[in-house]
This record gives sequence, C-alpha cells and structure tokens, in this order.
Amino acid sequence: MKEILVLVEHRRGEIRDVTFEMLSKGRELAGEMGAELTSALLGYDVGSFAEELSKWADRVLVVEDEKLKDFNAEAYQRVLATLLSKRQPALTLIAHSSFGTDLAPSLAAELGFPLATDCIDLRVEDGELIAVRQMYGGKVNAEVSFRQAPQRMVTVRQGAFPIEEGQRAGQIVAFPSPLTEEIDIKRFIEYVEAAPGEVDITQADIIVAVGRGIKEKENLSLIEELAEALGGVVACSRPIVDAGWLPSDRQVGQSGKTVKPKLYMAIGISGAFQHIIGMKGSDTIVAINKDPNAPIFHVADYGIVGDLFDVVPELIKRLKA
Amino acid sequence: MEIVVCVKRVPETAEAEVVIAEDGRSIEERDLVFDINEADNYALEEALLLKEKFGGSVTAVTVGPEKADDVLRMCLAKGADKAIRLTDERFKGSDAYVTALLLYRAIRDLDFDLILTGCMASDDGYTQVGVTLAELLDIPHAVYVKKLEIEGQVAKVHCELEGGLEEVMEVKLPALFTIQTGINEPRYASLLGIRKAMRKEIEVLNLDDLGLGEEEVGESGSKIELRRLFIPPVEKEAEILEGKPEEVSARLVEILKSEGVI
Amino acid sequence: MQIRGELISKCNLLECIQCGKCTGGCPVSLKSALNIRRLIYEVLIRESLDIRGRNELWDCTTCSTCSIRCPKGVEPAEVIVGMRSALVEGGRIQPTIRDVLESTFKYGNPWGGLRSKRAEWAQGLNIKNIAAGDKAEVLYFVGCTPAYDPRVQEVAKALVRAFEKAGVDFGILGEEESCCGNEIRRMGEEGLFEFLMEENSKNFERYGVKRIVTTSPHCYNTFKNEYQGGSWEVQHYTQFIADLIELGKLSFSREVKRIVTYHDPCFLGKQNGVYEEPRRILTSIPGVELVEMSRIKERSLCCEGGGGRMWVEGTNPQERLAELRVREAVSTGAEVIATACPFCLLTLEDAVKTAGYEGKIQVMDIMELLAEAL
Repeated sequence: MKEILVLVEHRRGEIRDVTFEMLSKGRELAGEMGAELTSALLGYDVGSFAEELSKWADRVLVVEDEKLKDFNAEAYQRVLATLLSKRQPALTLIAHSSFGTDLAPSLAAELGFPLATDCIDLRVEDGELIAVRQMYGGKVNAEVSFRQAPQRMVTVRQGAFPIEEGQRAGQIVAFPSPLTEEIDIKRFIEYVEAAPGEVDITQADIIVAVGRGIKEKENLSLIEELAEALGGVVACSRPIVDAGWLPSDRQVGQSGKTVKPKLYMAIGISGAFQHIIGMKGSDTIVAINKDPNAPIFHVADYGIVGDLFDVVPELIKRLKA
Repeated sequence: MEIVVCVKRVPETAEAEVVIAEDGRSIEERDLVFDINEADNYALEEALLLKEKFGGSVTAVTVGPEKADDVLRMCLAKGADKAIRLTDERFKGSDAYVTALLLYRAIRDLDFDLILTGCMASDDGYTQVGVTLAELLDIPHAVYVKKLEIEGQVAKVHCELEGGLEEVMEVKLPALFTIQTGINEPRYASLLGIRKAMRKEIEVLNLDDLGLGEEEVGESGSKIELRRLFIPPVEKEAEILEGKPEEVSARLVEILKSEGVI
Repeated sequence: MQIRGELISKCNLLECIQCGKCTGGCPVSLKSALNIRRLIYEVLIRESLDIRGRNELWDCTTCSTCSIRCPKGVEPAEVIVGMRSALVEGGRIQPTIRDVLESTFKYGNPWGGLRSKRAEWAQGLNIKNIAAGDKAEVLYFVGCTPAYDPRVQEVAKALVRAFEKAGVDFGILGEEESCCGNEIRRMGEEGLFEFLMEENSKNFERYGVKRIVTTSPHCYNTFKNEYQGGSWEVQHYTQFIADLIELGKLSFSREVKRIVTYHDPCFLGKQNGVYEEPRRILTSIPGVELVEMSRIKERSLCCEGGGGRMWVEGTNPQERLAELRVREAVSTGAEVIATACPFCLLTLEDAVKTAGYEGKIQVMDIMELLAEAL
C-alpha cells in the first residue's frame, strides 16, 4: 500500500499548525493517490501528541528517544534516514519552516529523493505528482514535477493549506529509535525569546506598518504621526528591522509576529509572502504603495496607488480634523 | 580561519516588472539589473569580519555565467582573497541538488574551516543548496543564522525560528551555515576598488574540470523538472481608490468611519 | 593615513596659515563638531590621521564657503572630500550612503528608481527624445531628483511649459540620462563619478549635444567645472530663461500677486556667481514683489541639502539650518520662499513643516511662479 508520510513539527510542548495543514493536504492526496496517510512523530515523552495525531492519520509512527527531546536536525536526519529507507513512502511532507529547511535538503540528498521546496500546492495529474512553488519573491509561480521518481519529498509553505477537521482513528505504532550515541557535532543549547519591547503589537486593534518605501529612518516620524492619529501602533516589515530602524518586536511576518488587528495599514510595503503571512488575517487591510503591481494589493481590501509622502500627510490632516 | 562563501548573481526583482519569457520556463532578463543575492552579501560580510578577527582567507565561489564575474570582483574588492566561477553551457537547467553537487566538486578539495552562504536566493527561493552542499561534504550545518560566534573549533550560532523566537546551537567546525539578512551591515565596494580587483585572478572551472559527466548535470541530471512558469492568479483585488492625495485620503477616512473601523 | 601626502599637495595645504576664515564661514560649524581649520592642522601635523568614526565629516554640505573665503588658495572643501574618499575606498560608510552609491551605479540615480521610469514624469507631454533619434537644439538635462521626486517633477513640468511657450527646440535623454555625479563626487566616490562622467559625456557626443540646460545647479556645477573634454555649452535654467525673457520670447498673461523672497542656492550662487538672473526672472513676473533677506548672494545660508546631506541625518539633526532660513524668510514678510534648486526646494519645504510655519509661508521654485503667470 502506497504511503504518504507527514513529519510532525512540534516545539516547546505544542504541535505547530503547519503539521495539521500538511496532514489535511496529505489526506486529500492520499485519496487521489490511493495511499495511506502516516505521520512520523519524533520526540521524547510525546504520547499525548500521538493521541491527537491519530485523529488525522491512518498511522502514527512514534520514535521515542531522549536524544530527540529538543529538535536537532542531525538527530532527526539519522532517525528519518532509517525510517524512510524502511518504509519507502511515495511522498514525504516536511514543513518549509526553519526546522524543515534545516532538515529536508540534507535528508533528501542522503536518501537520493528528489526534493521540491516551499510548495504552495500539490496535485496529482495523470498519475504524476505536480508541485507548485514560487519564485522572484512571489511574482512568479513555477510548476515542477519529480520525473516519475518512486519516492519524493516536499517542504510545504506554512499557511498554504487549510486545516480540515481530523476524523480518523489511526493506529499508534512505536518505531524503535536507531540513535545509538549522543550527537556532539551539533548540539541544541537553548531557545531565546525576542526581548519584550514596550509595545505588544499582537494586542493592538489598529496597526500602521511601514516597509522599505519609507526610504529613511527619519521619515518614520510621519508613520508615528499617522499611528497616533488613528490610535494605533507602529509595526514594520523585515527590512526596517534589518536596518536597525525599529526593534525586532515590531516586525510582522513569518519570522516576526502574526497579527490580526481590526485595521492593518501597510505603508510602502510590497507584500512579499513572508510579510503577508503575518497579517493576512487582519479584518480590514489598507495598502498604500507607489507600485500598482505590488503583491500587497492582492491581500488588501482597499488600496491607494501613490506616493506615501503625499498621501499620508493628507490622511493625518483629515484624521486630526 | 579559511572560509568559503558561496554567492549567486541574481536579478533585482523587488520593484521591477517580471515578465515570463516566450519559452515559458524563464523570465525576460533584458531590462533587469543584476547584483549579488542579498543574503549572500550578508554571508560575505560575515566572512570578511571573521577574517579580520581571526586572520586567514576568504574564497568566493559561484555557479553562473561569465557575467557573474561582476559579483566575484565585488567580493574580491571587499576583501575576498580568491574567486572561483563554475561555468558551463551544460549546467543550464540544473536543479538545487545539482547546483550543490557542482559546488561540492569545486570545494571538496579546498582547505576550509567554514562555509557561509545566504539562506535563500531571491530568484528561485529554493533555500536548499547550502544544506545539500553540507550533506555532500559531510559536515554539520545550521540555517537562518543571525549571530555567529567562533571559539576554537566550535561555533555558537543563533538561528532564527518563527514568531521572533531564536534557537542557540553549538556546531563543531568545519561546518556550513546559511546566513539570514540583518546579521551585520555589509560594507561598500567602490568602483575603484572593483577595478583594482580586476587584477586578481578568477579561477574558472567547467564540467570536465569538475570531473562530472553531462548526464549528471543540467536538465538531464536533475531530479526536479521545471514544467512551466506562470503569473500567480489574482485571488483578491483591493478596491483601488483613485484621485489626488487629498481626495483619496478623504475617501479612505470616510470608508473606514462608515465601516466602524475608526 | 595614506592619502595625507595627496591631500597636502592637491589642496595646497602648506599654504594654510590657520587663520580660521574657513571655519568662521562654515555654516555647519554652528552645530557640528566639524572644524575644517583644525582638520587641516591635524593633516599637516600628524603622521597618520584616523578618520574612522569621525561622523562630523559627513555633516559637510560642500557649500564651499570655506574654499571661497580662504585667502591663501587652500581648498578646505576638497580636504573633506578627500577624507570621505578614503572612507569610501575602505568600504566603511553609513548604510544610507552605501545604498545611494550602489543605487546610482545600478540604476543611474540615487533614489532607487527604475531606469524605465526615469521619463515617466514626461508622459503625455510629447517631449522630443534625443536618445531615441529626435533632433533638438537644446538638451534639457532633467536630473535625478526632478525625474523621480513627485514634488520636484512639478518644476520639470513648469520648465517644459515655459520652453514650449517660448518656442524652444529642446529634447531630453529620457531613460538614457544618468546621474550627473556632482553629489557622488562630493561623497567621495571618485571612481563612480568618473564612470558617470564617461557615460554622460559619451551620450552627449553620440547625440550631437551642443547646448545643455539643467534644472539643478548641482548638475550645472559639475558639467561646467568638472566634466572634461566636452564641446558643449551648459547653462542653469535661470540663465537660459532670463535670456528668453530679455529677448522677449516669454510673455506673461496673468498676475502672480505674491511677496517673494529668494534663497540663493550654494551651487548656483556662491559657487558659480549666478545671482542676478534668478532675480531678474522674479521681478519680471507681473505681480511679484521681491523682498530680500539679509543673508543673500555670497552670504546665503546653506540649506544643508548638498554634499550628500539629502541622505545623511548629520550629527546634530535637532538644529536645522533650513529652519533658521525659514524663520529669516518669514521675518521679511514674504509669503513665498523662491529658490532654483531641487535640494533647496525639498529641504526648505520640509523645514517649513518642522519649524511650524505650514500655511504661513510657501516654498516654490522660480519656475513654478513663472508658470503661474504664463
């Protein structure tokens, strides 16, 4: 029986959403491919996870080992190389997350499986698996195939697939850990939280976010004025934090915070998906950008194509009136 | 400290219009400006900072056409000691694994303590080549590195996770790290500096130099096949407010008030 | 510092008698640690000079008041440029400067604007494109800021209206126009400046350009004084337009009843001696009443827009000379500060807002006033 295998991603006592997204899509693909859906759970003392996962997968393979207590791509690779060699799944899904990026390419290379990364769609066409991924910052989609390879691997973009209710009653099966010694070439030391700032943007009702379009640090005062006039807080996209103009706790996006305010104003932000993923759940999104083709306009409710240095001052005037 | 930095020449597409070429599997390059991949620039800077601290040398390696010499000369101008370009018509169509294989062949005989590369290329976005290369070289790796400290033969890295969280790992050298943007502030390479760097030699290697067969590279050697490129379908279109700044801002405030947002 | 020897000979530093007329006239010395007299002293006395971390070097606006005042023919402004050059060659410059230099090399302008959009301001205006094969007597060299900045695009459009009204046979280079390099050179990137000079000169040759009119005094300055080997003639638009008015080619049909004071841009005024033409234009516009500030002509107070200052905060952003200037203008009773430079226009307009005079005084380019009268 063909197998589709989903690697469970969990961290600090929680299964991350992307796991359920992959299991949902995996269920759909299993139907299309006439396959069974298996989830692979690696960790230490993760029995409760297995229970939860059995609602989604036909089988939950659990690899319990103290050496798997904290995620370590080296350890995961050693376990999965053995597990995947044994089971030869037709398709393996791993999250395109930091963990997944650390693991999948080397695992795939070791096993000789073709790997397509950051997939936003997967489908079966004439018996072939087709994956869709993005290029050029999301401006172009690419359709790729795996040249009829019997075993394939993909990393899946976080948030790409919806989560469907898990209604199975899968088997929980223990898989013996092949790890023998401590892994000393790469060791997990600790997690570090971003230093808490004065403002928690995830709690704000109104957010005014700024991107590269602001051009200079001193122009931030204009954005601060707008935020004040709206009664909201200032946030930003990654480049602003990279440049050191705002602290990292203001960053919205995949590697920053996810926010769902009543109003999200995206000023001078092009809308690369890493940013969008952090704010697309906002109630009302307004975008101001000079570029009419900026991807942000595909996620915004209202848009103004114009120079923010002309529009924002006018907005402030009207709000203060 | 001997450091190898893998860099890539990419088109700048953040602001520019991207047009799919007639063959449907590439983009029109004519009007685009090319430069070093942003994350690779940060990786290069990190390597140069380590060289300033520990001494040693930095070698820049790229897989690309002759035009990629622009990027290599910039690396040399900034302080890299050597540059290697892997060029061959037959490399065309190589997937991420094959690209890593090419780099592996060029790098495996070099003496290195550390390999740095950008976490992701802004053109294909694979986020794959660095880690694959590490596997081929049989060295440990870490990704999305935001902070890198080296003491003796051990590196302590801060890797960026999601949601503002970071993890700290200790990795034994030799190792490969993929570098995240924002880790440092890249220096500038002046035109004069780049011209002077023209005196430094760039070693060019082709398929035969790497000891590989035609069937191992390019499209024939790739396990992932690119079928076609297409413009993403637009799921949602924002309602664009038209008019002068005074008009659109008034309209927007009206809309937001009527929807009870403000 | 390796460049010490070069600086001493290039800038005639041995002539320096440390009289202090340079620092005494330096506008930014009012608010910055920059002391050009002392810097020259240090260069002469010290075997090596560590200029890293001397952020005040970037406060200089290259207004050149120091070089103009020097009684001994020393070039203090060039000392600053030389030091900046050393920093640029070493690669250790502020990120904003780095980004501007990289943008100018890649895109031909410091603003990060796409080359394909350089002539977007001219859409629908039916302007001849000399680079596309059209022939014209005069090349209107637009400049990066008028091409890309929406506020300054209004000045370019006003100039075009005046040219058309006067029947001038002019054209632009469109997307093939590149940055003149004036600011680039003053930020210390000599190599990039030479590259730009070559590109522009080649274009002027290739398209048979004989006469150039610029929007910006910065472009005018470098074309006139620093570009080598050209067989073309260059004028700032104030000179060209003043001539047109004198020849009766421009007539006014409307009154512009405003009280106007004129701010002499450093690169037009004190560096190139163009003081009268802008004033002649203003006084010829019906309705305009010209009132003068006290610091005018050679003594005009630098707005802090030149020398790369458009992209550098400066070590003392709290005290802006442009705000001082705005207050001076307000005290004359003027309703409008007129100027003839894109950087002065932007800096003074910004200062009107930050100094709290919005609605009380307006900043306009001379051409905008003239266009209102056409």
